[in-house]
Amino acid sequence: MSTTELSRRTRLALGIALGLVVVVTLGLVLRRWGPGNMGNGVLQGGFVTILLFAVAAWRTSRRPDRTLTAERALTGAGDERDDAVMTRSAAFVGVLALPLTGLATVALALEAPTEIVMTILLWTELILAVASFVFYSRRA
Amino acid sequence: MRNDVRALRAQHGLSQAALGTALGVSRQTINSIENGRYDPSLPLAIAIAHQFQRTVEEIFHVDD
Repeated sequence: MSTTELSRRTRLALGIALGLVVVVTLGLVLRRWGPGNMGNGVLQGGFVTILLFAVAAWRTSRRPDRTLTAERALTGAGDERDDAVMTRSAAFVGVLALPLTGLATVALALEAPTEIVMTILLWTELILAVASFVFYSRRA
Repeated sequence: MRNDVRALRAQHGLSQAALGTALGVSRQTINSIENGRYDPSLPLAIAIAHQFQRTVEEIFHVDD
């Protein structure tokens, strides 16, 4: 195993450990003092995200030739094309996030239910992120 | 931009994965370059040229 690969694995392991500390700390704080079931949501969402990241990191370390563009890009193992796809996709979502947030703000000002507006905003941005990544990955 | 990467790779008997490994990029990147969907950076284009012992201009051609 090369020094570079060992260093990358060490950084990935440290990132996962740090992510766990942040999620658990934030989740427990929000369970104690946060509104509703926000703490449980942070814990569940955080653990799922870290689990998916760990699986991608494991696959990238073991069989990099069998991994997807998204796995390599998200775990920092991507080449220049992977990085370009990631950058274009993030830019697309970033540009659309501005008007979407504006629309959500208007909806909230018109007294639309906060939970529904925020749920629609979150899912719209997530779907746009995945769709734009797939689009640019197939085009590039 | 057109290129002769696929033909040169075939001449040298390399798979996309093998060429990708030699250049430090993924098989998908080689595939995208060969199909003209992705234009490589200058360092990668130079690395490809070195790999096949050609110049960049001999491999990559700007569409007219």
